[in-house]
Amino acid sequence: MTPLVGAALGGLALASLIGLRGPGRLAYPLGFSGVSLAVAGGVGWAEGWGAGAFYLLLLGLAVLGLAPYLPAYLELHPSRAYAFLLPLFVGAMAGVALAPPGYAFLFLWEAMSLLGYLLVALEGAKAVEGAQALFLASRLFGLGLYLAFLGQGRLGQDAVWLGLVLGFGVKAALFPFHGWLPRAHPVAISPVSALLSGAMTKLGLLGLYQAAFWFGPPPLWVGPSLVTLGLAGAVYALVRGLAEEDFKGALAYSSVENLGLMLAALGGYFVTGHPLFRAAFFLHQLTHALFKTHLFLVAGVLGERRLSRLGGLWRQAPGLGAQALWGMAVGAGLPPGPLFLAEWALYLGFSRGGFGLPLGVGALALVGALALFYYVRLFGLAFLGQPRGPASWHLAPGMVLGLRILGGALFLLALWPGLVLGPLGVQVYPNAPLALLLFALAYLLYRRLQALPHRTYSTWDCGHQPLTPRMQPTGLGFSQPVLRLFPFVRLREGEHPHLEEPLQRLLQVIGEAYARLARLVQGLQSGSLHLYLLLQLLTLVLVLGVVLL
Amino acid sequence: MSALLLLFLAPLFTGSVKWLKARLTHRLGPSPLLEYQNLFKLLGKAWVRPEVGTPLFLLGPVLAFLASMAAASFLPLLPGPHFAGDGFLALYLLNLGRFFQMLAALDAGSAFGAQGSYREGLITVLAEPGTLLALVAAGLLGGEFSLARLPVLDPANALVLVLVLASLALALLAEGARMPVDDPATHLELTMVHEAQLLDHAGPLLALYELASGVKMLFYAALMALLLPGPSFWVFLGMGAAWALALGYLETYGVKLRYLRLPDFLSYNTLFGVLAVLGAVWRF
Repeated sequence: MTPLVGAALGGLALASLIGLRGPGRLAYPLGFSGVSLAVAGGVGWAEGWGAGAFYLLLLGLAVLGLAPYLPAYLELHPSRAYAFLLPLFVGAMAGVALAPPGYAFLFLWEAMSLLGYLLVALEGAKAVEGAQALFLASRLFGLGLYLAFLGQGRLGQDAVWLGLVLGFGVKAALFPFHGWLPRAHPVAISPVSALLSGAMTKLGLLGLYQAAFWFGPPPLWVGPSLVTLGLAGAVYALVRGLAEEDFKGALAYSSVENLGLMLAALGGYFVTGHPLFRAAFFLHQLTHALFKTHLFLVAGVLGERRLSRLGGLWRQAPGLGAQALWGMAVGAGLPPGPLFLAEWALYLGFSRGGFGLPLGVGALALVGALALFYYVRLFGLAFLGQPRGPASWHLAPGMVLGLRILGGALFLLALWPGLVLGPLGVQVYPNAPLALLLFALAYLLYRRLQALPHRTYSTWDCGHQPLTPRMQPTGLGFSQPVLRLFPFVRLREGEHPHLEEPLQRLLQVIGEAYARLARLVQGLQSGSLHLYLLLQLLTLVLVLGVVLL
Repeated sequence: MSALLLLFLAPLFTGSVKWLKARLTHRLGPSPLLEYQNLFKLLGKAWVRPEVGTPLFLLGPVLAFLASMAAASFLPLLPGPHFAGDGFLALYLLNLGRFFQMLAALDAGSAFGAQGSYREGLITVLAEPGTLLALVAAGLLGGEFSLARLPVLDPANALVLVLVLASLALALLAEGARMPVDDPATHLELTMVHEAQLLDHAGPLLALYELASGVKMLFYAALMALLLPGPSFWVFLGMGAAWALALGYLETYGVKLRYLRLPDFLSYNTLFGVLAVLGAVWRF
């Protein structure tokens, strides 16, 4: 069964890849044949409708890496349900990207949310809470989408866009509506987290971008608030994530950061209309989908995920260490990685635009420095130093292949970002020569140093007693100096930092109220045929009344 | 080209600071040229690999060196590549080196390397925003953001550029691991930041690290030199000499700040950066 899933996902991925390169008008296997993708035409994918094609490329590449990984992974999690639900979920996401704004879109959007909920909730009782956070948030704020879709033409542009920002923003983890993401992603199995974080969240971004073509240009307040909230969310997520002990939890917070930067780029585009912002927006999306999928797949290999129990993984699994290093160096936004290219475009956009946008550079630099620290902590504590517990990891050949595909795609993207940026009309600096020169020189110098005489010896221990693994900093110990700069994460002696995400309390109250309402309605389900007939009659009268009035 | 110039001058710079510090405390002091001899000696030595080490232990110094050289090559002191936005790339290349240096320090598996690592991280978080803001402010004045087209100090833009220069000066102290922030002469583990990360690296690895940090310090001096009028090559030489003098005095008569006081000190960097940008936007 499981190889079939892999094959199905891979097939979809290839179909989407081929589809993107094909001629102007395409019918996708999902039946939305009315959608025309003027990829080869003069319009290009950057304009409105065509952005769906870009999304298919992104989804296709992520799924392509996932396809060989999944069969090996699912042998450890023998649940039939994944084999059934995962392709549906991927299909729903592809559908959302291509659907025109209307009932089909809303239907697929709901299907995607429901499938996402089920995929997270499959992991048992502990996961249900996280899944509910995801579902409740998307339900509650998703109402904004209905407001926008149904109110178009009747409501003012401000109300429509408020609905859009709420509805799409919550999927894209717009601060402060991001609370569901770090609760849902760590509890799901890794391939599901990878899809949720790498692919599903992008649909919110894509929706906001396309909405500017569907519903007319956004009102003036949208752009600046997206920039402000995006940058604030990025800083907040990184600081909050530094207090996270769980490897996957840290990855989830890093997603909130990246999505914040993308939202800031989109906001900048709405404010100024400068193509640099749009280039940053799209390149960041593709890069994030690839590297976050890659890193979640790395996390799926680990048996133990608490940072303070890990250590020295690289020596135990050398291939995995090198893969993780590449993914994390990209994630830290370092040149010549593709994420840096996106950030570079964002920097340049900020430093050019008026309207106080240059101050965004400071926030962006803070995000950059925090991300550097973030990934040093994540990689250093897990993969370097002395092991702090028994090694537990499982790496099958298929998993290695999946990681290599994603890592390779990231490398190619660093060398030829023009493939993405070309149609957007933005030229970046020549990154490929820099990357190749840097890699070649590093390789030569590395080999030269290795050939020099050296000896292996234990790390200097001050001459007292031998070093023990417990002398290395813990996950929280490492981030404490930076955490104490920011007042919103409080660390107390001997306890783990606990922080309510903003709006989490609201969601909880609404969830409880909804559960109470459901228990009340349960009384109707009495088994009495008369009652059911009466209810049907009442419904009919109500519907007729609404229609006739 | 500029990178080679900086590489050549870096040992002279650090050597001169050491010599000056010795003279100021009435000691004879090593010749400033001793640093070159020292580097050649280190390059010929054997090195030690910790038992728990991974390939990162070597990659750390290699990339720290290559990245700071790559960053320095964008300086327009001598002919070299330049394009719009090269300043961002140069600063992020320095970050690349820092990333691997911090990781290599964690690789030895001791408490000291890790300590140096997270302290370095804190300093980066504090210093980075102000530095980039300052550069953007200069870029806004010059119209086009490229290191080759930075504006030079004149009465019309004096206030903003002075703020930029002040911010860069603080950045040099922080990034170069210099006195109020870090003490390059100490070998007391509890107070080290930069040195703690290099503790386990010996021989050629140490030489690469020393060169990288020298080049990095001169990189900031060169950034400041670019903002002053005159032929930038000669201004840079003067700026290097001025900084050697300043550092010598600062480290003889100054004290290292308590570690917990660093945010207070470096917040001036951010403040200057923000003010400079506001000044550039509003043209005061």
